[in-house]
Amino acid sequence: MKRAEIITALALLVIAGFVMREAIRLGPGWGEAGPRGGFFPFWLSVVLGLSSLWILFQALRHGSQLARNAFFPPGAIRQVLTVFLPMAGAFALFEVVGFYVTALVYLVFYIRLTGRQSWALTVAVGILFPTVTFLIFERWFLIPLPKGRFGEQLLPF
Amino acid sequence: MDAFLNLLGGFEVAISPYNLVIAGVGVFLGVIIGVLPGLGGTSGVAILLPLTFTMPPTSAIVFLSCIYWGALFGGAITSILFNIPGEPWSVAVMFDGYPMARDGRAGQALALAFIPGFFAAFIAVVLFTFFAPPLAELALRFGPPETFAILLLAFSTFTGLGRGSPMKSVASATLGFILASVGLDVVTGRPRLTFDSIILLSGFSFITASIGAFGVGEILQSAEERLEFRGTQGKVGLGDLWLTIRETGRSIGTFVTSTVLGFWIGVLPGTGATPASFMAYGLAKQYSKHPEKFGTGAPEGIISTQSAAQSAGIGALLPMVTLGIPGSPTAAVILGGLYIWGLTPGPMLFIEQKDFVWGLIASMYIGNVIGVLMCVLLVPVFAAILRVPAPILTPSIILLSSIGAYAVNNTTFDIWLLLAFGVAGYVFKKLNYPLAPFVVALVLGDMTEEALRQSLIMSSGSLWIFFTRPIAAVGVVVALALFMMPLLRPGIARLRNGLGAVPPAQA
Repeated sequence: MKRAEIITALALLVIAGFVMREAIRLGPGWGEAGPRGGFFPFWLSVVLGLSSLWILFQALRHGSQLARNAFFPPGAIRQVLTVFLPMAGAFALFEVVGFYVTALVYLVFYIRLTGRQSWALTVAVGILFPTVTFLIFERWFLIPLPKGRFGEQLLPF
Repeated sequence: MDAFLNLLGGFEVAISPYNLVIAGVGVFLGVIIGVLPGLGGTSGVAILLPLTFTMPPTSAIVFLSCIYWGALFGGAITSILFNIPGEPWSVAVMFDGYPMARDGRAGQALALAFIPGFFAAFIAVVLFTFFAPPLAELALRFGPPETFAILLLAFSTFTGLGRGSPMKSVASATLGFILASVGLDVVTGRPRLTFDSIILLSGFSFITASIGAFGVGEILQSAEERLEFRGTQGKVGLGDLWLTIRETGRSIGTFVTSTVLGFWIGVLPGTGATPASFMAYGLAKQYSKHPEKFGTGAPEGIISTQSAAQSAGIGALLPMVTLGIPGSPTAAVILGGLYIWGLTPGPMLFIEQKDFVWGLIASMYIGNVIGVLMCVLLVPVFAAILRVPAPILTPSIILLSSIGAYAVNNTTFDIWLLLAFGVAGYVFKKLNYPLAPFVVALVLGDMTEEALRQSLIMSSGSLWIFFTRPIAAVGVVVALALFMMPLLRPGIARLRNGLGAVPPAQA
């Protein structure tokens, strides 16, 4: 927990630094007709910088208390990754083959392999879910979802 | 009786068949969102927001607000039957709701949540109907300094009244403001903080951010816990309704206090139903004749928390409609929707968009009636949703989230942002950074910056303008006091202990 606390505070500090550099480039002060574009971001970066320094300081001071709790409880990291990795994979697939094929592949993969549900249930959800989203989004609410580079040929609609 | 006539006009709008169907569907989806523990009201509303892109604005707001009412009802079902909070605002309902359900009185526990919750919402809507027009009229006279003062007040409540580390609230809000300022400069129109990327020119969408930080973050967090739903069955019978009415009559004082307290907390910017329900629980326990029964299935414990939560939900929309400032994170997402539908939130709505405002208010009455009927009649159906195995729910929610993020700009870039916000939201949650200030700041960023810069232009750069105009001065002074609260709190606690008195816990 302590390390996570410190890393997060440092990340915020880095963001504050980037924003401040950009704000100074844009002009943090007074222009011809009022505050310039960098004015608001400049003061934001100051506040973010100070608060992240304070959080960092607190984390270092109360370090031993924080260190008692692990960021990931035992076994949790595996659980989180079994959700996270397929999700990231599905997003990558989304980019290539569009929504509907992604949904089918991802659902089948997740429900069958990680979830260990029966094949019948897996296939039913894998087909029903994309069909229902198609009806709701494309037919009723006229929001087209991407069909991807191959999707147009693969899917008959 | 102007409000009354306007309200009648609103009912004409809200009761049109299309809007009634929209309200019904909204409440139904809201209850489902409320029931599902991995899906909160804020991310639920954000995920479904793209569905409103093609609706007329009035139907769109009816839809989103009805999702909110449904979620306020629905959270209680999971809390009472399964001892797992369906929503953060139904954590406190669990304290007495679950013990009562375990004793075989699940139906009564549910009725004690739904019926007083409904009446609380009803009273809150009546308060809303009569408070909104004068507040909007007052707000019409606001210039940039007043607007900025009110916004400052909104953000000070996060540090002054929020739980957890005040510095983390500040960091979270500032981060939201920074992301809001990416893109085109609101005043000059020049690109900034885009690092020469074309895709960043349009800035960060609050929809992607809130689905990511709340929705995906919640899913990652619940993945750790491996929830198992072993709960009781429950159905609300006629006998339960009768007992509830008698019980509510006996604790009418608790009911009224919780409702009014909830409404007020809801109106306060940024703090929504969750703190309201906790505070109402604390107050009810403190002033109860039998405080020792709390936690073992006391009816007052359920009545107070659910009434406060539902009344706070309604209250949260009051500053949204009248001032353009959301009263809760969920209201912040709805407010963001207003911009997308081409409306400017704030007092001008009462003049230029009468149908919209009064249609919304009328739909609050209707939506809550639909909500209570649906919940009382369909509890077993909603509870059955929790028997759907997690391996089916998790990927379904993730896929819906990805649609929500994609539909904002029709780019897959937003899906990667969704992933990034999800990871950030997960880390923030684990380290106790509050997420509400982040989303509210992201939605209000442009408005805040504009108000500040215009005020400074008016005063040629002097900050005194915030102290020389009466309304602005009051706002800024109270805001500064709230920002200082965390520094003073240890001192106040010492004073209290020294005096030996125990004043009501209204932290």
